[in-house]
Amino acid sequence: MTTGVLELRDVTRRFGAFTAVDGVNLTVAANSIHSVIGPNGAGKSTLFRLITGVHRPTHGAVHFDGRDITGLRPHRVARHGLSQSFQITSLFPRMSVLENVQAAIVSRSRRSADVLTWFHWSTRGEALELLERVGLAASADLPSEVLSHGDQRALEMAVALATRPRMLLLDEPTAGMSPYETARMVQLVSRLRAEEGLTVLFSEHDMDVVFGISDRVTVLAQGRVIADGPAETVRDDAEVMAVYLGSDE
Amino acid sequence: MRNLRADGGPGGLSRSTVARSVAIPVVLIAALLVLGEKLSVNNMLTLEEVLGLAVFAAATNLLLGYGGLVSFGQAAFYGSGAYLIGLSWLHHWMPFWAAFVLTPVAGGVIALLMGLIALRTRRLYFALLTLAFSELFYQLVNVRYSFTKGATGIFSVSMVPASLSMPRTGYYFTVGITCASLLVLWKITVSPFGLMLRATRENRERVEALGVSVYRHQLLAFVISGAFCSLAGALFVVYGQSTYPDLLNWTTSGEPLFMAVIGGMFSFLGPAFGALLYQVGNQYISQHTHDWQLVLGAVLLVVVLFRPDGLAGVLSVRTWRRMWARRGGRRVTPVDGGPPADPAPATAFEATEGAQQ
Repeated sequence: MTTGVLELRDVTRRFGAFTAVDGVNLTVAANSIHSVIGPNGAGKSTLFRLITGVHRPTHGAVHFDGRDITGLRPHRVARHGLSQSFQITSLFPRMSVLENVQAAIVSRSRRSADVLTWFHWSTRGEALELLERVGLAASADLPSEVLSHGDQRALEMAVALATRPRMLLLDEPTAGMSPYETARMVQLVSRLRAEEGLTVLFSEHDMDVVFGISDRVTVLAQGRVIADGPAETVRDDAEVMAVYLGSDE
Repeated sequence: MRNLRADGGPGGLSRSTVARSVAIPVVLIAALLVLGEKLSVNNMLTLEEVLGLAVFAAATNLLLGYGGLVSFGQAAFYGSGAYLIGLSWLHHWMPFWAAFVLTPVAGGVIALLMGLIALRTRRLYFALLTLAFSELFYQLVNVRYSFTKGATGIFSVSMVPASLSMPRTGYYFTVGITCASLLVLWKITVSPFGLMLRATRENRERVEALGVSVYRHQLLAFVISGAFCSLAGALFVVYGQSTYPDLLNWTTSGEPLFMAVIGGMFSFLGPAFGALLYQVGNQYISQHTHDWQLVLGAVLLVVVLFRPDGLAGVLSVRTWRRMWARRGGRRVTPVDGGPPADPAPATAFEATEGAQQ
């Protein structure tokens, strides 16, 4: 059995009588792009919340980078180098694009209670560099609330990167994006993997995106893994086809 | 159209911004020093009151404008600053100077205790808890006549050293403390902590996800605000030479909130300008009519409904640029003007509460 950066072993989460995630085993290899797909209600978002610590698994274990992170609080998980972007855009709307990134840098370097230095001077260079990388440097001074949806998602990527993660968890990163914005996001994700050596785990509805950039695909249905393997293999899997045809995706 | 950001570049503090943050304090301090030579004693006293209230309002605005926290307990800090000096004099605890230096410490400690409990709640409950705390202080002072002189208050010229009770030295002392306080508070707003405080106002869940405790940062803001409000209360004793229970009453908590809203809570000096308007308005309007409160209410209504960014928003460089551009028949698009990083929200309600889901 290969060991991955992120490993889930027999992870289960029940909400009362309902089992949202049912005995999931998942191994995400270092520096890979791994996607989780499945119809609505398959348990993708719950699975992500179990990894980031928003929910505790009912049983099972989550290992990240060789360490047991099962049930850690979200901010502790973030400190281990696992950064997430939210399914719903989550920014500081009336702060500038640059300041959004600067706030993340300040948090990462644990200077959030520092009253003696100037945040602007100490974080500006790094923040601009990150914005450059996601293509937002020209919008640095705009309030983040005036950005287009696609640009806001790109800004979220910059905020996530500012925490210097080893792994990115993206919950439906292209949801609500135009085809152009989607293409840009796809490009960005593959570039980050190549240039930063990041590992990326994401959930996605757009099959072109999934099979366009994933190394490996895991298919969830009703909380269970029904297929898992290299992208090409999963694409041709009969059971996967059945799930998707049945759910009208 | 001329490039409005030619000197800054994206993300840069433009040269004009830097120039402004140096020029404004220099000009203001110079003006205050010159006024000390020119003003009549009466007007000088009015200005001293304005300065003390400016510290009170700016310290309160650290919570209101930057932190999105509506505290109705600010009087507890302000009044305790004044009473620390008053009681020290009355009971011969310590000399004036020792008491004066201790006021921010006392304010900070009271804020810490209040904040530890009140900050566990949000919005309305937070406002009510802070209100309850300050009423507690008010009642305590009112009831313990033998200790605090109750509703009579403590009045005496000898409460402050003779050197300070002379109008001009008292004035310069107040100017010095005010300028130092405002500079320190301003510095805090441009520190990493100031940035995080604004971030907690905007989206507390995101801040938590970044691995930062919202509670602890709000508590620190509360302590800093309490310390400076208490110092403002000490300044009140310097020019008022008295202390009385009303300084602890909830109406006193409302004053810095009014000043911040009228003056503009999204700029650092807005609340200080609000203090000027409030105090001067109070003095001069009260001479002509008994309806000062009515006028105040009307002004507040207009500001809240139409200019939630207050006087500072009306007077800001951006507003003039926008008007200039409009007159020239051109719109200031985001690319050349750039909307403010803290654009005016549609209403004051949205300003403090809306972002804190």
